[in-house]
Amino acid sequence: MQNKVSVKGLVKSFGDLEVLKGMDVEIEEGEVVCLIGPSGSGKSTFLRCLNRLEEITAGTVVIDGFLITDPQTDINTVRENIGMVFQHFNLFPHKTVLENIMLAPVELKRKTKEEAETRGIQLLEMVGLSDKAGVYPAQLSGGQKQRVAIARALAMDPDIMLFDEPTSALDPEMVGEVLQVMKQLAADGMTMVVVTHEMGFAREVSDRVIFMDGGYIVEEGPPEQIFEHPQNPRTIDFLNKVL
Amino acid sequence: MTILELIAENYARLLEGMGRTLLLTFWSLILASVLGLIFGMMKAARGKIWHILSSLYVDVIRGIPVLVLAFFVYFGIPQGFGVNISIFQASLIVLSLNAGAYMAEIVRGGIQSVDRGQMEAARSLGLPYRKAMQKVVLPQAIRTMIPSIINQFIITLKDTSILSVIGYADLIKVAKAVIARNFEAFRIWLIVALMYLIVITVLSKIAKAIERRMTYAK
Repeated sequence: MQNKVSVKGLVKSFGDLEVLKGMDVEIEEGEVVCLIGPSGSGKSTFLRCLNRLEEITAGTVVIDGFLITDPQTDINTVRENIGMVFQHFNLFPHKTVLENIMLAPVELKRKTKEEAETRGIQLLEMVGLSDKAGVYPAQLSGGQKQRVAIARALAMDPDIMLFDEPTSALDPEMVGEVLQVMKQLAADGMTMVVVTHEMGFAREVSDRVIFMDGGYIVEEGPPEQIFEHPQNPRTIDFLNKVL
Repeated sequence: MTILELIAENYARLLEGMGRTLLLTFWSLILASVLGLIFGMMKAARGKIWHILSSLYVDVIRGIPVLVLAFFVYFGIPQGFGVNISIFQASLIVLSLNAGAYMAEIVRGGIQSVDRGQMEAARSLGLPYRKAMQKVVLPQAIRTMIPSIINQFIITLKDTSILSVIGYADLIKVAKAVIARNFEAFRIWLIVALMYLIVITVLSKIAKAIERRMTYAK
């Protein structure tokens, strides 16, 4: 069976600056992969290439069998199956929590209004915010916003979820509630790619950890191997600094 | 003659002139809003051709005085192309083109004031660009645009007075005709000024009320 995500020779440049210098990554269905590494190493850029929020300079990216680097591919259809959660939540401030969640399924005619509402309430229960359905994002705490953002991404019933530093903009006491939801999602078998600085989460939840530096994959493997027995000196150096 | 008698004698004609001023303003603003939305969105879009086209429109209009544009459209175009344009049509074209260029800048600024993450979040859910623009970015952009739009509405209302030079029978032209008959320049222009002031003040108050109702806690 084909892998959920298959990246070959991915290069991404911003003008003269080459941010990703040839990445090869295979991700299986149900796998939870954490990307770690210093700032500027290209982790977020790599993640954003997976749903083509960044135009890809060279290489191929296949998601769910769709070659998204092909301009002929309808990227919108592919994106419907890829949920994304952002560092700064990016909730729609002019819509209530429930409207945020219902917007895409209804607009893209994947669900009727009633179905989307039922599913939205279900998702809010899952993230522990069923009492916030009619509230506007401005009235929520950071942790609550991020949980709504996760629910919104799930409303399209995606089979891959991308997380771009989902807890980096949160106050420390709110990190746990978001990670809890993500753990639940991982346990339910969601394919997840997570850019994170939460080493505890990476160690506990992920199936595989990828350490990136300078636009390359420096080292990858199961979390025990990366955290207990890192091989590359750069990995060792990074882990010494953050742990 | 007291000022009250002066008003009693001429109010019907002056109000008629004001009516035509408002009529022209109303239709110009509708057309200008459409133009502004189209060209403003083109300017905010990524495509280079769109950007050049809308910049061209905005720069050309901004670089020409309304008065010159009015003469060009009403006297120049009929001669150059052999078409007939009525005074109202010419006035409408001039004001719409003019206000449209400024509205385009307002729309562009409004769209660009919305955080990039909003568009990205909408696109990541699978919404096509147009839907994301329509459902997510524009509703937020319009809120920040409202004060500038109100300002442009008032400027356009005042700009209608320029069209009296090509013969549009607005408040100014009516007032001139009245004064030609009774030589009451001081008091008639005073009345005209007050009429503009009242109408603009009332419109501003209505607009402010709309603005308050549309704002939300950030």
